[in-house]
Amino acid sequence: MTDEVGKVKTTMIALCAIALMSAVACAQNAQFQAGVDRTQVGSGEQFTLQFTLTNAGTGGGKNLQLPDLGKFHIMSGPNQSSSMQIINGAVSSSVTYSYILQPKEVGKFTIGSASIDAGGATLKSAPVGIEVVKGSARAKPQAGGQDDAAAQIGDNLLLKATVDRTHIVQGEQVNIVFKIYTRVSIASYAVEKNPTMTGFWGEDVETPKNIQTNPETVNGKQFRVGIIKRMALFPTQSGSLEIGPMEVQTTVQVQDRRSTDPFDSFFRDPFGRQVNYMVRSEAVKIRVDPLPPDPPSDFKGAVGQFAMSTTVDKKTTRTNEPIDLKVTVSGTGNIKLIESPAVELPADFEQYTPKVSDNINRTGDRISGSKTFEYLLIPRYPGLKVIKPVTFSYYDPAKREYVRLHSPQIELNVEQGAAAVTPLISGGSQEDVRLLSQDIRFIKLGESGLSGRGEHLHTSGVFIAMLLLPLVCAGGALVYARQRQAVMLDQAGYRNRRAIKVARKGLKQAEYLLKEKGSSGAPAGNQRLRFYGEISKALWKYLGDKLTIPQSAFSIEGAVAELGRREAPPDLVTSLKALLETCDLARFAPTSLDLTVMQRTYDEAQRIIVALERILR
Amino acid sequence: MTMRPILLLLILTAARELPAQTPEQQLRQANQLYQQGKFPQAREAYGAILKSGLESPELLYNLGNACYKCGSIPAAILNYERARRLLPGDDDLRHNLQIASMMITDRIEPAPRLFVWDYWDGIKNWFSLSGLTLTVYLFYALVAVMASMFFLARTYALRKIAVLAGSGSFVLFLFLLVVLIARLGDVTRTDEGVVMSQIVTVKNSPDAKSSDAFVLHGGVKVQLIDSVGGWSKVRIADGKVGWLEASAVEVI
Repeated sequence: MTDEVGKVKTTMIALCAIALMSAVACAQNAQFQAGVDRTQVGSGEQFTLQFTLTNAGTGGGKNLQLPDLGKFHIMSGPNQSSSMQIINGAVSSSVTYSYILQPKEVGKFTIGSASIDAGGATLKSAPVGIEVVKGSARAKPQAGGQDDAAAQIGDNLLLKATVDRTHIVQGEQVNIVFKIYTRVSIASYAVEKNPTMTGFWGEDVETPKNIQTNPETVNGKQFRVGIIKRMALFPTQSGSLEIGPMEVQTTVQVQDRRSTDPFDSFFRDPFGRQVNYMVRSEAVKIRVDPLPPDPPSDFKGAVGQFAMSTTVDKKTTRTNEPIDLKVTVSGTGNIKLIESPAVELPADFEQYTPKVSDNINRTGDRISGSKTFEYLLIPRYPGLKVIKPVTFSYYDPAKREYVRLHSPQIELNVEQGAAAVTPLISGGSQEDVRLLSQDIRFIKLGESGLSGRGEHLHTSGVFIAMLLLPLVCAGGALVYARQRQAVMLDQAGYRNRRAIKVARKGLKQAEYLLKEKGSSGAPAGNQRLRFYGEISKALWKYLGDKLTIPQSAFSIEGAVAELGRREAPPDLVTSLKALLETCDLARFAPTSLDLTVMQRTYDEAQRIIVALERILR
Repeated sequence: MTMRPILLLLILTAARELPAQTPEQQLRQANQLYQQGKFPQAREAYGAILKSGLESPELLYNLGNACYKCGSIPAAILNYERARRLLPGDDDLRHNLQIASMMITDRIEPAPRLFVWDYWDGIKNWFSLSGLTLTVYLFYALVAVMASMFFLARTYALRKIAVLAGSGSFVLFLFLLVVLIARLGDVTRTDEGVVMSQIVTVKNSPDAKSSDAFVLHGGVKVQLIDSVGGWSKVRIADGKVGWLEASAVEVI
């Protein structure tokens, strides 16, 4: 006690002296040291790391660079304290930076050198070694309060993670409970680090707010056990999955039992000191098997035991009036992961994405509850509509098989609503034919004419031969026409040649009629008629043959015109015309004609034919 | 003695499994396989008929369908394109080719072309090849008949009709002949191909070390412009040009 009072005094004097002697006080041999309060700690225990800068002068230290402390948790720090001493006139000052660390791992570590700028130079501390041993380092109790506390806590405070099973299938529930086992009194605790659960979907199970402890005996020691956290986990993948450790920071009430000094105990807290102590659970491994192969087509990952119900708010509705179809899946399992079952609707229904609501009960041993999918359906056309049974598949881990649930078929009677009669949309209610799915059309099954590759109609021999046929036809026609024309030309020549013969024959007949006298000495009336007929016929035939005019198309004017074209002398034409007229006249009015006239007519005819024969060669 | 029946049985089974089938029967069987949903088997069966040197647009179309159902889109497109050569106006074929083209990775906007060419294609693809050939032949024969009629006609009126009808037929004949020649050019052309590799890098010159021009995925139709060594110069629908290894493309 007296010593401490003395110290206080000295300090006070020293403080006064600083002002006076600050000029004198100069940095001498500035030093920077690192140290730990102990070199061996247990995992989960804390130790202090100190960096001390001595004789840094008035400027003190700046820019403290810490070494890598990745292997430790920094529980507190930096805590700075400074002191100054004057001993026999020599001033010495020191600044201490202290950290409270807790190791993360077991092993031997070296804390590297730290550096600080002081008095214009950079000072480095020497590395410090520390050994972290498993459990408590204080098998043999050492001096010092902290050690004592850790020793007291030691095996008396544990955090344990327990799972209800370690071998499940994907999607099956596994419960994990984090329990704290204690034989010391815990003032408070805080979860420092929640367990990592890669590959799981976790659901916190409700635990009472105030931890209730139950006695339990472990290794012959009586512990009080309290549940800190309880979770239901659903693996979303298969394989060997690990649930990471949980870390809990506890504040533990400890009693210093060592001291027997009554004074000491008097000054100390009668309820003991409070010590921070980190507890951590072990990682838990869980083997997750994949689900069996070939799930039903509508399986979407639900695992557990479920039931399904479907309800429709009304069985009869009108067009454009919505219907509520509720599909409720209830049971135990990974309810939250259930996806909406597909509802197959008649094509003329409009469907909106379902409204999903769930109700999960997290209190029991198994997560249970229900999930409701509300589908809003709007029928567009009247009639009796059938919604196919809604199906939902899940894997039952207890039965080890997939289970498929069917709802009953839903029949809806849709009546014609008023809205369709007077459509609200001015654009009319016409709709495009909706393509329900895009797929290729079916193969062609009809008989197909298989033919060799590259074989076409135009390369086939028959076709090429056929190409010649029209050509041959046209050629044949041409040849035939030519020949026919030649024949026709020939016929004209024949008639030409024949003309004079025919004419002579006619004239001879006429001459005979003229010469032949009847008993009366003159030709009879009918003989005269025949005579003129013969003359006329001979002339007509001759002209017809010469001019190549058919008999039927013959007329005096036509013959005259044709002869004019053939440059016959006009007087010849005139006399021919006169002769022909005379013949006609004599044939139709045969009274006043006597033999001399007949003789003249005969001579005239002979003369004209001879003259024409000369012209129409 | 006991050996003999077994031997006989073996011979009998072997004889039964001999493909003593007409191509039509084979085709019917392949269609049955397709209808049963055995697409890979149907594809093989169709391929076997093709391998024997026979073809028909329906066969190519069905093979294209089987390839599509097997998931090999480039092969489906190749066969549809081959079928289209023979049967350009077919609605089912056009629909399926469109669907298959939607499945390929590359979306290529075709370079715009004059509307006249669409009309031209429409006319060209109106008939089947045989139908077109026959039509041309019909007009050819009509011209010949009219010529014959002209030669043989005795009256002026008949000759007039022959000249008018004959010249009209001749003009149509000439036009259809041009169409036929163009169509034959389409059928026998070998300057179009389909990319069969999953992915192929098109280079700027026919050299593996050359810089990359662009990347094409399976199923894209390309025009083959030139070839050097194992490389083909191609142009795609939007006008981009580059070189790729000839093995990556199959000629339609």
